[in-house]
Amino acid sequence: MRLIIRDDTEAASFYVASYIVERIKHFDPAPAHPFVLGLPTGSSPLGVYRILVEKYKAGEISFENVVTFNMDEYIGIPRDHPQSYHTFMWQHFFSHVNIHPRNVHILDGNAPNLEAECVEYEAKIKSSGGIDLFLAGIGEDGHIAFNEPGSSLASRTRVKTLAYDTVLANSRFFNDDLDQVPKMALTVGVQTVLEAREVVVIVHGARKSLALQRCIEQGVNHMWTLSSLQLHPHPMIVCDEDATLELQVKTVKYFKSIEQVARAQGFEQILPSKIRTGPSKPALPAQTILVNGERDRHVDAAESESPTILAPQPTTSRLLSVATPASECPIRSRSVSPDIELVPDRMASRIADSSVFRGRLTPGPEVQANGLARVNAVGA
Amino acid sequence: MGITTPTHDGIAKLTNCRLLRGNELVWGDVWVSSTTGKILRSQATFYDDLIMPDNTIDLKGRIVSPGFIECQLNGAFGFNFSTVLEDMSEYRKRVSDLNKRLVQTGVTSYIPTVTSQTSDLYKKVLPFLGTSGQRRAAEDGAESLGAHVEGPFLNPGKNGVHNVGVLRQAESFKDLEDMYGTSNINPDAADDSIPIKMITAAPELGHMMELIPELRSRGIVCSVGHSEATYEEASVAVAAGATMITHLFNAMRPLHHRNPGVFGVLGIAERLPRPFFGVIADGIHLHPTTVKIAWNAHPDGFILVTDAMHMAGLPDGTYPWTNGEAQQFITKKGAVLLLEGSETIAGSSSILIDCVNNFLQWSGATIPQALKAVTSTPAAMLDLKGVKGSLEAGADADLVVLSDSCTEDGLAGLVVEEVWKFGTKVFDNCTA
Ligand SMILES: [Zn+2]
Repeated sequence: MRLIIRDDTEAASFYVASYIVERIKHFDPAPAHPFVLGLPTGSSPLGVYRILVEKYKAGEISFENVVTFNMDEYIGIPRDHPQSYHTFMWQHFFSHVNIHPRNVHILDGNAPNLEAECVEYEAKIKSSGGIDLFLAGIGEDGHIAFNEPGSSLASRTRVKTLAYDTVLANSRFFNDDLDQVPKMALTVGVQTVLEAREVVVIVHGARKSLALQRCIEQGVNHMWTLSSLQLHPHPMIVCDEDATLELQVKTVKYFKSIEQVARAQGFEQILPSKIRTGPSKPALPAQTILVNGERDRHVDAAESESPTILAPQPTTSRLLSVATPASECPIRSRSVSPDIELVPDRMASRIADSSVFRGRLTPGPEVQANGLARVNAVGA
Repeated sequence: MGITTPTHDGIAKLTNCRLLRGNELVWGDVWVSSTTGKILRSQATFYDDLIMPDNTIDLKGRIVSPGFIECQLNGAFGFNFSTVLEDMSEYRKRVSDLNKRLVQTGVTSYIPTVTSQTSDLYKKVLPFLGTSGQRRAAEDGAESLGAHVEGPFLNPGKNGVHNVGVLRQAESFKDLEDMYGTSNINPDAADDSIPIKMITAAPELGHMMELIPELRSRGIVCSVGHSEATYEEASVAVAAGATMITHLFNAMRPLHHRNPGVFGVLGIAERLPRPFFGVIADGIHLHPTTVKIAWNAHPDGFILVTDAMHMAGLPDGTYPWTNGEAQQFITKKGAVLLLEGSETIAGSSSILIDCVNNFLQWSGATIPQALKAVTSTPAAMLDLKGVKGSLEAGADADLVVLSDSCTEDGLAGLVVEEVWKFGTKVFDNCTA
């Protein structure tokens, strides 16, 4: 788990937006090699979307080859209702950037068969090659998407009845009329989120501090569904100071020092390179790829249309069974060069000789350095 | 996952601009289609049709207003609508030339006005002045929304420059048909359109009062003007269905404290609908304070008009003018047009954006309030709410892009930078 703490909401949002931009750029997405991004709604990610739009308008990033999957949508309100998540995404993000509507996926809360809609949604995520980065926010009760307290940590996309608290909280958007507030929603499951190759959560404000504390300092618990992130190989939580109010001073200091040391060592990025660049590109000749340790599966341009990962493994059960190296998570991977053996990315092996892994890890270290400098400027 | 190549659906997205929405300028985007000629519901276009704009245009903070609607235009660029030409196909050509030039001033639709004339002239010219936007072709320029016949059923005591000799009284609907031509005042069998959209008349004369409901039922706007009507008579006309007052204050009884005349109906009790009214804010016809008072009396009915004559845009001099049976001359000196050898004002030579700027300067009105007077208000008057004069989805994509540069003294005035007609840019100040 990485926990990045910034002084305020703006700095935290800027960190996340910059991080996403760097991830996409480094991934170098192409039509047959799109970057697949999972997206939330709500107040938490508003700043992130605003900054992403600014960066797009400044020419820093293109969303042309980005595919998105949203977390959730209400059932039974018109798609273009002012409070629908379709409208939210349109107003705050899609209308301002160059993302193609064909690459946008949001659950249809008016689908004739809601169950089929959910099954199809999961299938679409899989056929897109899985989600490269799932951005999320959390509720005050620590819920992720509409996976409210008590949701199964192995849950998948499904119809969900909203907690009474959530309905009450939402009523302010529906003229304070409880009858108008949707009581049901479609949402991706906890498991759907955990299957993303990376999960980034933005948390801000004192009201979220208890939830953050439960999810970081306590154990995995279905009453605080975000705590399931502890089972993910590559989670990152970015929060502001206010959100750390309930954390122990020790915890805050620990994560801050880790970030500092990593930065001092020029090692700001913990993702394995194979996750950062995604699967092979069709323009390249057939590559030797590694899938869950399986060798010598050859892919070519035609095959790249289909998922290059095996069916995702249920992360929870796998992680709970034995300590498993992070490299075994279901990723689309390829070795940088066929000559080099892919080794599990382990912190210990990297720190021993940073100059070696830096060369291997990052094709364009100066790009990364620039990105880091900008983040520092705000974060410091 | 495949990503399709962009399609070309003639969609432009205007962004980084302030949109006229009600009484506010709101930052936002507007999507227009040159295929349908309409403003799109962008969110639905994206989610349903999976379409992206072919073109994104950064307007750098400028204002986007619906295209202007002019309700009192006698002619322009040397061409007078009240003219009979030897070869009427030449008339058609002159109108179409005028449309292409008029659109460059920000006027995207208008009702061409024919003054008091002989029946013969009406019958000849009206077929060329009816609605012209059926083709929805941007290159046609400004679009006629139907003709405005200002006369000849006017009060000789308030004739203004109109030739008293041709003024008449109507006793029956047949009198109107005889004057304008049956086909010009009745729906066309084929497409239901009527060349005449608005009639200015003095309701106190003949049986005009009883004819108002008949005209209304055809969708023709009845406007009180060139009239001696008392407050009471004007109120009856409004109750009968008159919804407009032609150039308020000019060619009617002045406001008198014991009988407020036609102007009084703006102060009418709310139980009666209050009419729209045209105001000439050219700095000559009305005192600036008079304009302001009229606006304050009923802001939602306030429509800025030019009453421009065909000399607008021509050099100073004396120009011939067909006025009823007489051939007269109008002397243009600067912006002032006078009937030759008299002090009678003969229309104006201003353009609509000038009137908007004058009004802004005189009234302390906000930019949205001023723009409303040439967009949504005239559209409502012409029963075209949501079709013209609107930036809402589904409205015709007639747009004006304005800059509002300021000096130390405040607003320097709005400048027409771009004009869009049916979703296509037809004028750009930068390249003009
Ligand atoms: Zn007149």
